[in-house]
Amino acid sequence: MSSAGLGRPIAFRWSPLVTALAFALPVVFVLAPLAIFLVYSFFSVDQGQIVYAPTLANYLRFFTDPVFLPVFWRTIVLCLSVAAISILLAYPTAYFLTTLHGRWRYVLLMLLMVPLLMSYVIKIYAIRSILGLNGFLNKALVGLGIIAEPSTLFVFNMNAILLTLTLLLIPFAILPIFLALERIPQVLLSASHDLGASNLQTFLRITLPLSLPGVASAASFVFVLAIGDFLTPQMVGGISGFTFGRILYSQFGTAFNWPFGAALSVALAMVVIAAILAGERFGRNRGASL
Amino acid sequence: MIVVPRLSTILLAAVTGVVAVLLYSPLFVPIVSSFFPVARGEVDWSSPTVSTYVALAGNHEILAALRATLVVGLCTVVLAVVSGTLLALYYHGRRAGRSLLQFIVFLPFLTPPIISGLALLIFFREIGLERSLLTVIVGHTVFVLAIVYRTVLTRLQSMSRTLVEASYDLGATKWQTFWRVILPNLSSAMAGGAILAFALSFDETMITILVTGTQTTLPVRLWAMMRLGFSPDINALVALILMFTVLLCALAARFLVPRQIATQRS
Repeated sequence: MSSAGLGRPIAFRWSPLVTALAFALPVVFVLAPLAIFLVYSFFSVDQGQIVYAPTLANYLRFFTDPVFLPVFWRTIVLCLSVAAISILLAYPTAYFLTTLHGRWRYVLLMLLMVPLLMSYVIKIYAIRSILGLNGFLNKALVGLGIIAEPSTLFVFNMNAILLTLTLLLIPFAILPIFLALERIPQVLLSASHDLGASNLQTFLRITLPLSLPGVASAASFVFVLAIGDFLTPQMVGGISGFTFGRILYSQFGTAFNWPFGAALSVALAMVVIAAILAGERFGRNRGASL
Repeated sequence: MIVVPRLSTILLAAVTGVVAVLLYSPLFVPIVSSFFPVARGEVDWSSPTVSTYVALAGNHEILAALRATLVVGLCTVVLAVVSGTLLALYYHGRRAGRSLLQFIVFLPFLTPPIISGLALLIFFREIGLERSLLTVIVGHTVFVLAIVYRTVLTRLQSMSRTLVEASYDLGATKWQTFWRVILPNLSSAMAGGAILAFALSFDETMITILVTGTQTTLPVRLWAMMRLGFSPDINALVALILMFTVLLCALAARFLVPRQIATQRS
């Protein structure tokens, strides 16, 4: 196995036709749609017909109309909160996993990942029924005497979207944090103890800083997945829980303004690209791991 | 070994427990209600029943959607495995433009599904392709291609070059080497990739909603039904789907985790 993974191609000569196909496939079905989409954002709609003449009107409308920017910001804040809450729950969980030994560590990790396999739509529906007026959450809170009667605070509003997205996306936060924590060389922790640091000091000065790249990746994953979701807000958001994804989706349905929808998507894509780049930038900084 | 004092271990375990409950509760709600009648938010524990499963067998709308999902899944798997393997074989090694094209293959996986879905929707409209199961298959294939490509490429990179050289030294032709040496070595990675691709296709909702026509897949049909409130036999379906997906993923793990590691762990 000496030459494995050297990146040398297994000897194969490819005809020009195959080369063309290999290039054509990703270009036609991935790049072309995205390029057309981008171009569409510069078109406009007149009486249900798309006008193929370049204009900046869509972008102007996005920045000047009092409706869109506030929803845009509110959605970004919402998704940042989802990322923050997910990490607050995922970090202790991932840390706990690293304190386990042998097989149990991976068994438990697998168990925490299994819910990802469950149909997304069904999970949203189940969470809605848990959060609802007759749902388990209200029953439990009333039963514990925390609230006097069932509350509508948890469903069909922004809170509901926040809670649902967090529940759906926690596993995506656990995994990168776990991987970062697991990668921390044990010798560093031993050295810290030998030099007389307390457990808390070791955690704050060694473990936490070295695990921050994992936290950055987790935040970026969760944020990107949350902001691209339009099903959850549609299902649990009701009338008041209006997010950018829903507005975008409505441009292709009820509002029937595809070019404007494309322009909104470009705005969304910018935020996503920024989040991915930030996650890459801060998630890569692993200089200290041996 | 991380040394943690007792109290903090207990706290950490408690948070982990809470997270596990949070993650699993949405799974148990439909499974429990598939076996027990639910009236006005109260579960009637006294009379377990399988009537929901019986009712499911008579729900033609759901069965049609299930059939469509399977058709889409199988076509997607075939297309994705064939093109993903070819792409992996082609881009394996350092070719000009490799990293750029690799990036393009990964794009649908990185971009939010709403953007990939809408881009495809406009694309199909511009080339005059009517929305149908065919457009769904194309959408799914583009989406899962990266997974198959990555899985096969990883296996290809860990494959020893000496195997191929030995094959040539023994007088095999290019095609004989491909069929007898390279392909058998890739088969388990291809199978694992295929199962992952099928699982992703089976559950894909956001892209499907955007590119589907009148005939549609199960998640989209469920989505449409949930917005109106649905009959309890859906819960039975949900329970079955969960079991099916767990089984699929266990299978995928078998194919993708190298034998030695699998036996070491067990």
